[in-house]
Amino acid sequence: MLSIRDLHAQIGIRKILKGVNLEVNPGEVHAIMGPNGSGKSTLTNVLAGRTGYEVTKGTASFEGQDLLALEPEERARRGVFLAFQYPVEIPGVNNAYLLKAGLNAIRKQRGLSELDAFDFLALIKDKMKLMQMDESFLSRGVNEGFSGGEKKRNEILQMAVLEPKLALLDETDSGLDIDALRVVATGVNNLRSPERAIVMVTHYQRLLDYIEPDFVHVLSDGRILRTGDKSLAKELEKRGYDWVKQEASAA
Amino acid sequence: MNASVTSPAVAHYREALVRVGPALPGSPARRNAAMARFAELGFPGGRDEAWKYTNLRRLEARRFQPATAGDASSALADNVPTALVAHRLVLVNGAPAPGMPATMGGFALSSLHPGSEDHLLRAITGGGTERFAALNAALSPAPLLLEMATHQHSDDVLQLSLLTSGELSTLACPRLVVRMAAGSRGRLLLDHVDDAAREHFTNVVLDIELAENSHLTIYRLQRQGVQAFHVERIEARVAAGATFIVRDSQLGASLARLDANVSLEGRAAHAEITGVFLADGSRHLDSHILIHHRAVETTSLQDYRGIAANKGRGVFNGKTIVHPGAQQSNARQVNRNLLLTSGAEIDTKPDLEIYADDVQCSHGTTTGQLDPAALFYLRSRGLSEAAARSALTRAFAGAVLAKVDEPALAALVQDELDRRLVGLLELDA
Repeated sequence: MLSIRDLHAQIGIRKILKGVNLEVNPGEVHAIMGPNGSGKSTLTNVLAGRTGYEVTKGTASFEGQDLLALEPEERARRGVFLAFQYPVEIPGVNNAYLLKAGLNAIRKQRGLSELDAFDFLALIKDKMKLMQMDESFLSRGVNEGFSGGEKKRNEILQMAVLEPKLALLDETDSGLDIDALRVVATGVNNLRSPERAIVMVTHYQRLLDYIEPDFVHVLSDGRILRTGDKSLAKELEKRGYDWVKQEASAA
Repeated sequence: MNASVTSPAVAHYREALVRVGPALPGSPARRNAAMARFAELGFPGGRDEAWKYTNLRRLEARRFQPATAGDASSALADNVPTALVAHRLVLVNGAPAPGMPATMGGFALSSLHPGSEDHLLRAITGGGTERFAALNAALSPAPLLLEMATHQHSDDVLQLSLLTSGELSTLACPRLVVRMAAGSRGRLLLDHVDDAAREHFTNVVLDIELAENSHLTIYRLQRQGVQAFHVERIEARVAAGATFIVRDSQLGASLARLDANVSLEGRAAHAEITGVFLADGSRHLDSHILIHHRAVETTSLQDYRGIAANKGRGVFNGKTIVHPGAQQSNARQVNRNLLLTSGAEIDTKPDLEIYADDVQCSHGTTTGQLDPAALFYLRSRGLSEAAARSALTRAFAGAVLAKVDEPALAALVQDELDRRLVGLLELDA
């Protein structure tokens, strides 16, 4: 589904990704861990199409399509979703408008009819219940005045509504207390399916107790140094990242 | 000044008064005096501070033909868009069509008669648009008096559709005089339109007085065609306990200038002048808002959102003067501007003069572009760039548009903004 080959990316003259290789198949959950500044967020941002990054080498394809050639909205419409590390507050644009406009753009791409206000509301109310969100959310500005936890829940709500094929979760666990983490994790787990792949970037093993990954990758200094199963995450928590770096440089 | 006396444009309008003057109502001496004042002030020169960002050379180069009252009966009124509210009066080139009712939307309507001349052609002085107010007084074919009687309340909105139209490039001088008696309450919608067939010059004067504890809301919709020149002077005096509100939508014309001068003259008088302007294409839109606090406990709010795109240019000058003795006054000024494309420009100047010590005043001005992070966020959810930009632009104007509490007008302004924004954003993308 997602195939990343030798991906290099930089901001200005600062090289951040230095040859990332990653294969993600439908149904898989991948966790990408690594120390601060290793390039985790850059990877998800480059895949989602945020401007400001320059890809200098390598490829990323999604369902056989050159992902990097597409505009951000085209990626979204083909089924790529980024849950932001720092969701943006947009006063004056309400959540309902954003969700409906996004959903209908994606449905159009998939050859489905647009949802009218009634059907949309029915759909969204279910998903909001799941994310334990109050209906007043809908008429509020996008993330406007939301707490950190509400913002993260809103990201997962959007994901639940837009039903992406590939979900990129950028530190969705950061800033969450344990109750909020559980809600968010439940939301993500509900979306696990044989057709859907999830790539989650995280600092902490904690999230992986709730969302069990099939693969764990260690990203350090712009490269994936090691790949394992969920036991690798446990080991990282015990031993830190240095041993991975040392073994990699020895090899 | 000498240069302006000999200006061919001034000479043109002076000769025009000689020609059409006999057909105009009211005292010729008063009109001649007004014309003399116009000739004395002339067109603004390059160093005139009130016209620093707005050049009137194009306007001065044109020779517009003053409209006379006789035009009003013609079929020109067919060009007027449908009414937005139940009560609507059409003025063609400043004159009401024949058969104007005596009352409408709660207002008593009357035209110039010997007893009302002092009111209707009163000189409006000061500021950058005094010259045009004088030109208006000289050539206005049918000043209209709108009166709301003591303690009369009307929740209706009276829409005044002011159409400028003609076979030739026409100078229209609508002059509206509004008198709100003590304790009265009313609402007016000024809808400026034209036939869009050729260049016209609409030169408007609103002379407004609010007696004690009265309340007047003016919704202003300037949606003239892309060739139009529009100059407007709103002069308002607000007595104790009275409230004067303007909800402005400056959307049309090639070149438009609005001067709103408000004087808060009695205890606890209140004014709110809020609005949006959209300077797209090669439009030049200039708004000068001036509020005088002359009495204790007076309060005011100015809040404008300006949007410019393409080669459009916006000018905003918001000024508040708190005079000596106007203690416990509260004045707020906000002006936020959005540049949608690189060629656009907005010049803004907040100005606060305070001569009293126990007051609360604030002003804030910003000019910027759409937030790239917000744009990316919306696009990452599947919205096209044009849709994302349009949504953010609407949100930008939203806080001020939300104050337009007449639904038909609010919907029209919103639609017009959407239509134009999507058009120019798609063109741009």
